[in-house]
Amino acid sequence: MTSLISLKQITKSFKSIRALDGVDLEVQAGITGLLGPNGAGKSTLIKLLLGLVKPSSGTASFLGYDVMKQGRQIRNRIGYMPEDDCYISGLSGVNAVQFSGCLSGIPKTESLRRAHEILDFCDMKQERYRMVDTYSTGMRQKIKFASAIVHDPEFLILDEPTSGLDPEERETLLKRIRLLASKMGKSVLISTHILPDVQAICDDVVILSQGKVKLSESLATLTRTAEPSFCIRVLDNLDRLADALEKHDVEVSKNPDGTLTVASQSPELPETIWSAAYDAQVSIQSLIPARNSLEEVFLSTVTDPPENGGTT
Amino acid sequence: MPINDVGYRKLKNGDTSSLFRWFAICDIGVQLALKSKWVKRIMLSAWLPVTYWALGFFLVEKAIVADQISAMSQGVDLNQVTSLALQESITNRFSFFPGFDDLQEVFNTDDLAEIRNTVWRWMLMTFFRYPQAIIILFLIGFIAPSLISQDIRSRAFLLYFSRPISRLEYIFGKICVPSIFIILATTLPALILYIIALLMSPDISTLPQTWDIPLRIIIATFGLVIPTSAVALMLSSLTQESRFANFSWFAVWGLGHGAWLTIVLATSLQMGLPLFHPDVMQSEIVSNWSAISLYNSLGSLQSYIFGFETFAESWRGIISLFGITAFSMTLLYRRISSPM
Repeated sequence: MTSLISLKQITKSFKSIRALDGVDLEVQAGITGLLGPNGAGKSTLIKLLLGLVKPSSGTASFLGYDVMKQGRQIRNRIGYMPEDDCYISGLSGVNAVQFSGCLSGIPKTESLRRAHEILDFCDMKQERYRMVDTYSTGMRQKIKFASAIVHDPEFLILDEPTSGLDPEERETLLKRIRLLASKMGKSVLISTHILPDVQAICDDVVILSQGKVKLSESLATLTRTAEPSFCIRVLDNLDRLADALEKHDVEVSKNPDGTLTVASQSPELPETIWSAAYDAQVSIQSLIPARNSLEEVFLSTVTDPPENGGTT
Repeated sequence: MPINDVGYRKLKNGDTSSLFRWFAICDIGVQLALKSKWVKRIMLSAWLPVTYWALGFFLVEKAIVADQISAMSQGVDLNQVTSLALQESITNRFSFFPGFDDLQEVFNTDDLAEIRNTVWRWMLMTFFRYPQAIIILFLIGFIAPSLISQDIRSRAFLLYFSRPISRLEYIFGKICVPSIFIILATTLPALILYIIALLMSPDISTLPQTWDIPLRIIIATFGLVIPTSAVALMLSSLTQESRFANFSWFAVWGLGHGAWLTIVLATSLQMGLPLFHPDVMQSEIVSNWSAISLYNSLGSLQSYIFGFETFAESWRGIISLFGITAFSMTLLYRRISSPM
């Protein structure tokens, strides 16, 4: 599969500060989460992909274009939602989105039509006619998101798309992003600090730290546990089931959320669990394969980097 | 599947040419500027002087026709001026404008074509230099300061530069905003005055006599638009607060011209002559320092374009404007690049 983003030994220095340090990265189609602590180089990497900053060394291609020489062509085919609360004062929501379309080269009338369609897609009702200056943070996020997709880009770069959103709005936005990727074939790069967002929608994860790619892997691979394990939720006595399982010689640990994690090298672990539940006279409410938390992966990568610049 | 393809119409992908992307920036800037009541009021007031100058052209042409009737009765060539009626008409209406003396020389000739061309040029130059210059000072003072400072404050740079727009296109789009208002407040009225003058003239032979005037108006517009817009946008790019840019704009004009007026005052006191006495104005020190005033430099350029000063007389103003424009554009470009 051809990579949409291909970076080879990219370095970017600002005077004495090395923002990107020999970054090697391949990003395929789908939704990719870009993670990293503050100052890791995420924003620099995004600006580099947009062609707004030139790398000090290395080669980079994005959608088949040379990032150094063809920034304009790249920006023509992508949508970018900045993290900053940026807007053009004095414009209504719909005019702000229309203006973004016009900047991407769509004629004015066509851009207005598309702006209305996109705002419908973003579930923005009559508020679209109000001045952007009067919007709440959540509404401004919607306008930024609508502006990023009004010209129907094939690749979306979203910088902290859910910051400042309430849980309901956050969930809705994540659903929209998932829809864009699954139904409309868009590829998305999400830079965020909110790990549950990444866990909820991303196919691949890239972790940047100190200007280097510390990890680049599919989410499924990252969260897979070392040995087969299950997470069990029961209707009644958890301790009785834990005791019964221990008798079957499996590793049992209680989780703070009232579940049990059971691990064993035995391929017959599910049968063992059902058998123990029968012995303990406990009803199992759910039995799902256990996964490593992304937070654990992130923390272990950032603090104890495996130096893996792999392919997603 | 395209995002916008909702089924009720076919998606058209007729993008505008990349050569005109700046137009969107200009368009939205004009729309936002027109939301200000003060801008609308100034634009309306910019057209008031047209009536005074139109009346001036009417009286000039009336005097010429009267002169020609008199010539016919005396059996003299119609293209030769025979009376002082024209000179009197101009003197009565425009003698209080500085530089009126420049016009006197032409009355020594009796060639009607030359007199008409010179008088029209002079009248249009005064139209540019006196009422419209003051109006433009206020108009740009209201429009330009917020153009870039507001983008800095609201961090809108990323909205522009994450699109297929270059920094030069951004600057060009922004410069077009004050330029359009300047054109609407000066060039368009000046061209309309020229057409009014043509309509008031006795016959179509006036057109070949004055064909150069519309060109001079257009060139003078460029001379006015480029330095003023560059300075105004440069000031706007230096701050997040448009009121500071607004204050700086008036300060640049006020301080420069104030300093020059101080030199004029000091010279007149030294020479023991009244303020603005021709000997004072033509003194070496006043001429040499004239270019510190943006207003004088623009006036010098306009005098050169309308043919009332030679390059040797106006080079200081022209060089000063060129320097100010180059400095402003360089600083503006650097400021636009720095937020990245």
